[in-house]
Amino acid sequence: MTAARLRTWLLRAWVALVFGFLMLPVVVIALASFSRTSYLTVPPKGLTLRWFAAVLADPEYVHAIVFSVLLALGATIGSLTAGVAASFALIRRRVAGGPAVAAFLNAPLVFPGVVVGVALLQFYALLHMNGTFVGLALAHMVITVPYVVRAVTASLQGADPELEHAARVLGASGPVAFFTVTLPLIRPGVAAGALFSFIVSFDNVPVSIFLLGAGQMTLPVKIFTAIEYGVDPSIAAISTMLIVLTGLGLAVAERWLGFHRFV
Amino acid sequence: MSGWRLLVPALLLLLVVFVAPVGMLVPTSLRSYVPLVGITGGVTARNYVRLLTDSYYLEIIGRTLALGLGVTCATLIIGYPVAFFLARTRSRWRNWLTILVVFPLMLNLVVRTFGWIALLAQNGLVNQALQALGVVDGPVKLLFNFAGLMIGLTHIFLPFMVLVLIGAIQNIPRDVEDAARVLGASWGSAFLRVTLPLSAPGILSGSILVFVLTISALVTPRLLGGPTYQVMSTLIYDEFLQRLNWPAGSAQSLLLTAMVLVLIYLSGRLARRTGAAA
Repeated sequence: MTAARLRTWLLRAWVALVFGFLMLPVVVIALASFSRTSYLTVPPKGLTLRWFAAVLADPEYVHAIVFSVLLALGATIGSLTAGVAASFALIRRRVAGGPAVAAFLNAPLVFPGVVVGVALLQFYALLHMNGTFVGLALAHMVITVPYVVRAVTASLQGADPELEHAARVLGASGPVAFFTVTLPLIRPGVAAGALFSFIVSFDNVPVSIFLLGAGQMTLPVKIFTAIEYGVDPSIAAISTMLIVLTGLGLAVAERWLGFHRFV
Repeated sequence: MSGWRLLVPALLLLLVVFVAPVGMLVPTSLRSYVPLVGITGGVTARNYVRLLTDSYYLEIIGRTLALGLGVTCATLIIGYPVAFFLARTRSRWRNWLTILVVFPLMLNLVVRTFGWIALLAQNGLVNQALQALGVVDGPVKLLFNFAGLMIGLTHIFLPFMVLVLIGAIQNIPRDVEDAARVLGASWGSAFLRVTLPLSAPGILSGSILVFVLTISALVTPRLLGGPTYQVMSTLIYDEFLQRLNWPAGSAQSLLLTAMVLVLIYLSGRLARRTGAAA
């Protein structure tokens, strides 16, 4: 069976190469962020943490980080509320036209983000909602709701509806049965949906860039415009922080939720 | 509570903050824009006529579609073996390897693209490596052209393709392939005549997903293509934020949307025709 073994090893080598390709830019950024030079260079020349200090001392970056976190939290809370309710209706109540509704709720996933951005730019201008936090959060909810619905419906399909029936028979009201029985059962799906939602909102550029008002700035838009002005190691430093945080978040999510089941 | 009442918040959100604004691009796309004056009244198809006849726009549309096709083929060829491995391996590291595919997907898009700027620049790592290996004499231009966008976008969208294909390949019962082998098929013909056709629904939905995402991408084409090497979404970006020609930008947005919707519709029909659920 040498041919079979050769195949196995060729496949493994290919997989290793592709993983290398996937991780290449990540490694390059992390290395570049420690360079002593004021220009971007890999491998780094010398070793310094001054670019990390520079980013954290820059009020523009700090403001953008805080703003992005608040926006992502707002969008996540909003899309969780709307998304969990919708998922419950789709799976447990089996509303008429359910598949069509589900397809509609998922539409923003494949819709060009830039079109959503410019459409809302014009729409909010007419409503005088440009540069408002609520407007931005609602726009982010549109693109995060599909992720919540996907994760929560997957979880609901795996949870036994009889348990909720049992609670109802024993006298619990609808909401009590939902919050004390069903919600704990689907907690992994809700948590995965919340994580997706937070990350998708926190990362968004195509929608945010058209809607940010004076004095508003999200972190990815800040990095995006910084790159357009010219690259330097401080961009690599903030990127490295995001790489570490994303990696840790994903590792925790995999350990606690088995996150791979929800992607 | 009845089912429909629970759906109200999500449906209302999408109707008001998604459907209505996109719908309102239609009247805007039929207006004209006069520099220094602004948007004028009167209905005209001029924006669409120019978009579909002017060679400048046609080149951008063609380039966008070529990138979509190129990136789709590249992610399929690179990703299929990886998905096959992850779907079939019995390694206890399998879930963590899957998470490693998800990681770039969860990592900020601007950050990933930034990495490619460092790699593909004139004095970047790729050029250094190519010259050190003696493949090329001088630096190769890898930014602000088709090659740069192909590399960057393939990297960005590869995880989507792999994840869709993993799902499709996992759904194929191993027995079917084993049966083909027992009946005398070589590994190659068992793969080509059993496994590959059975994973066709995944190939179709993965390809449509990657194609649609590629022609819609803004951040990566902008940063790797610069302001001069345009695709449809960067054109829309400039039309709205630099040239302030909202009518032309609306027409371009609706054309891009139409392309996406037609593709999804056709793939749905194709999936039904072949009896496969995509």
